Amino acid sequence: MKQLLDAFSSSRTERLALIILLLLILCALAAPLISPQNPYDLAQLNIMDGRLPPGSVASAIGIEEGAPRGLHRYWLGSDDQGRDMFSAILYGLRISLTVGVSSTLLALAFGLTLGLLAGYFGGRLDTLIMRVADIQLSFPAILIALVLLAVLGQGVGKIVTALFAVQWAYYARTTRSAALVERRKEYIEAARLLGLSTPRILFRHLLPNCLPPLIVVAALQVAAAISLEATLSFLGIGLPITEPSLGLLIANGFQYLLVGMYWISFFPGIALLLLIVSINLVADRLRDVLNPRLQKQ
Amino acid sequence: MNFSIKPRSFRLSACLTSLAVALTFATSSVSSQELKIGLSSSPAAVDPHFFNNDAISALCSHIYEPLIAIDAEGKLLPTLAVSWRAVNDTTWEFKLRKGVKFHDGSDFTAEDVVFSLDRPATIQNSPSSYTTYTKAIAGKKIVDPLTIQLTTAAPAPLLPNDLTRIFIVSRKAAENATTDDFNQGKVEAGSGPFKLVKFSKGENLQLSRFDAYWGNKPAWSSVTLKFLPNDPARMAALLSSDVQLIENVQANLVSQFKANKDLTVFEKMSNRYMFLYTDHRDTSPFVTDKAGKPLDRNPLKDVRVREAISKLIDRTVLTERVLDKLGVPNANPAPPGMFGHNPNLKPDVLDVAGAKKLLADAGYPDGFGITIFGPNDRFINDEQVLQAIGQMLTRGGIATKVQTQPMASYIPKASKKELGFGLLGWGVGGGEPSSPLRGVLATTDKDKGLGTSNWSSYSSAQYDSTLIEALRTVDDKKREKLFQEAAEIAIKKDFAIIPLYNQVATWASRKGVRYLPRPDEATLAQFAHPE
Repeated sequence: MKQLLDAFSSSRTERLALIILLLLILCALAAPLISPQNPYDLAQLNIMDGRLPPGSVASAIGIEEGAPRGLHRYWLGSDDQGRDMFSAILYGLRISLTVGVSSTLLALAFGLTLGLLAGYFGGRLDTLIMRVADIQLSFPAILIALVLLAVLGQGVGKIVTALFAVQWAYYARTTRSAALVERRKEYIEAARLLGLSTPRILFRHLLPNCLPPLIVVAALQVAAAISLEATLSFLGIGLPITEPSLGLLIANGFQYLLVGMYWISFFPGIALLLLIVSINLVADRLRDVLNPRLQKQ
Repeated sequence: MNFSIKPRSFRLSACLTSLAVALTFATSSVSSQELKIGLSSSPAAVDPHFFNNDAISALCSHIYEPLIAIDAEGKLLPTLAVSWRAVNDTTWEFKLRKGVKFHDGSDFTAEDVVFSLDRPATIQNSPSSYTTYTKAIAGKKIVDPLTIQLTTAAPAPLLPNDLTRIFIVSRKAAENATTDDFNQGKVEAGSGPFKLVKFSKGENLQLSRFDAYWGNKPAWSSVTLKFLPNDPARMAALLSSDVQLIENVQANLVSQFKANKDLTVFEKMSNRYMFLYTDHRDTSPFVTDKAGKPLDRNPLKDVRVREAISKLIDRTVLTERVLDKLGVPNANPAPPGMFGHNPNLKPDVLDVAGAKKLLADAGYPDGFGITIFGPNDRFINDEQVLQAIGQMLTRGGIATKVQTQPMASYIPKASKKELGFGLLGWGVGGGEPSSPLRGVLATTDKDKGLGTSNWSSYSSAQYDSTLIEALRTVDDKKREKLFQEAAEIAIKKDFAIIPLYNQVATWASRKGVRYLPRPDEATLAQFAHPE
């Protein structure tokens, strides 16, 4: 752990990336507390406040009695429905991160298990699993996700499923190659001679030694999953329109770019950019730290 | 069916397209001989009898003509038929135009009419068949080469209106032609003002003037209709002079285009009638209590609940703000000026207190939960309209979720009645309101072609009998009165559907090109003129 911290403190760019990433995660976690509006609650939106430029004050006109809202400023402007862009971005970050992380974890667990089995047992099982993975990888990720979502419909759970289906093969491949190398080593031999059960050998002995490359792949894949989710939402098939993720927010503002209402697309775009770049930089650094060959130099 | 489906255009690719368009410095200047038009649809065929779809119809209207057309005011216009009369209750006689030549050089006669009326039934795998309009014809009698009599089993006062949908093709040219032959331009079977040069699916349709045309010859010697379904890409094409005329101006750009000296914007209240269908069945899949649990009875079944929904919708905000003025509140399937318009039917105005009282009377003082569905690529600002309605209903206590999807995946689900509550628009063609009255409001009866899009599952004996009587009444005055009565029963009394507004159709041209706007939203090169 200390080694990790050291690694980040030694480079200014990566330290900055780590700080930004942590900040974004914090914002996403605290979204309900710090955002002036709940963008998912249609009763809190006011269509008369639609398309206001950044810094505008929320109007009180058109709000019926009892509607729970105080006056606030639209610091980053509002979209066509009167959704506060700042609140929408915070909530959008939440969705993007949730989708990215949960689909990656699911795919990691599944792909890793298959990869270990393939690498450890070899033979027909190996061929079967790897050919399925090959077929999966021969299609572009976006295509598979598009088809799946067209069948499944909209929703957070469904987009996680689609991203999971797209990603697991990467982990299966990476794990298998690591496992192939590791299973010939003497400690596995020793474990086998001791008569340990196969699951125990797989998960207690083989797995920990295959982990470092997987962590790096997973960290990079979180960013890839987030951007794939944004792409799908941008194309209008990911999430329902009333629960916007960053990609959907960008898509929403797309038609206003020609009119000069830049803020509807621009700010979510910046947020997405920051998120993906910071994850990538952190993952990159992580790779350097976990790669023993680079460390020795 | 009168709604057309356009393929979902991907915003990403369009982004690149618009960039490319912007970068290709426009070399074309407005010449009075050549016209390029940007269309918002991308039709898959130019066979006039293959697929009953507005976008394909509009393309075909350049090449083919019906016996009777609809003019720019929505009235019947003698075209290949010069006159028609009812011989008796079940027989219509049409006098055909003399001296009309087809593109292949053959003469137009009654034989071609018989062939064209028979052809829709021979088309295999039609996504939506033209037989809807030809089914009623029981007998065809050629009196002389320029006179034809059509008989029907039951009185069919609307037959001339139905015939506006059937294009006439040359029997000689089309007898052995397949839909592919039509698409590839192998047959010269039309009599319209333009000849087909080349149809490239997904790209464009190229046309050239037909010099032997019987009517007013168009001003353009060649016309290219470009398929640009993505809004920003189409706007960019006009701004960069890549095309001289576009249809469906992006709503939020209308005022900007009007202020632009190089552009002219044309507007016309469309006869596209926008409404919400409401589920009248005992249970509805997406109606729940406020916590999201299913309800044992469907609140939408209660007419008071439907009226409350109507009263919660502020149509002025929808048309003025969400649609950027490209809408006019309207409750009538027949808009003002159309045959069958009922002045008693007025759009509901916002009345939150009244709506809450109706909900309380119906036993839902705290409201309930519902999901509203609709397309996101078909109607003007459809996605925004649905979200705004979601806001308005939620404020009134009906917790509303909004789900939008491309038209191509929305239609199949909605027509299987899997959704229950959603947005639909209906182009009221033919100059009278019978198509929505038959298709949307009549009790579903597939064999009689009634209620084919009755997604509300509305069924009223009183309405059905009034409508069926109207459809059999030959006397215009009486029929109009029955149409008005029927609309009032279904919409004002029963709230079978919740009417919203009519769209305003828009076109924009570069300086030097004028367009005569039409209420059917069609973009036809023969209606464009050099200034």
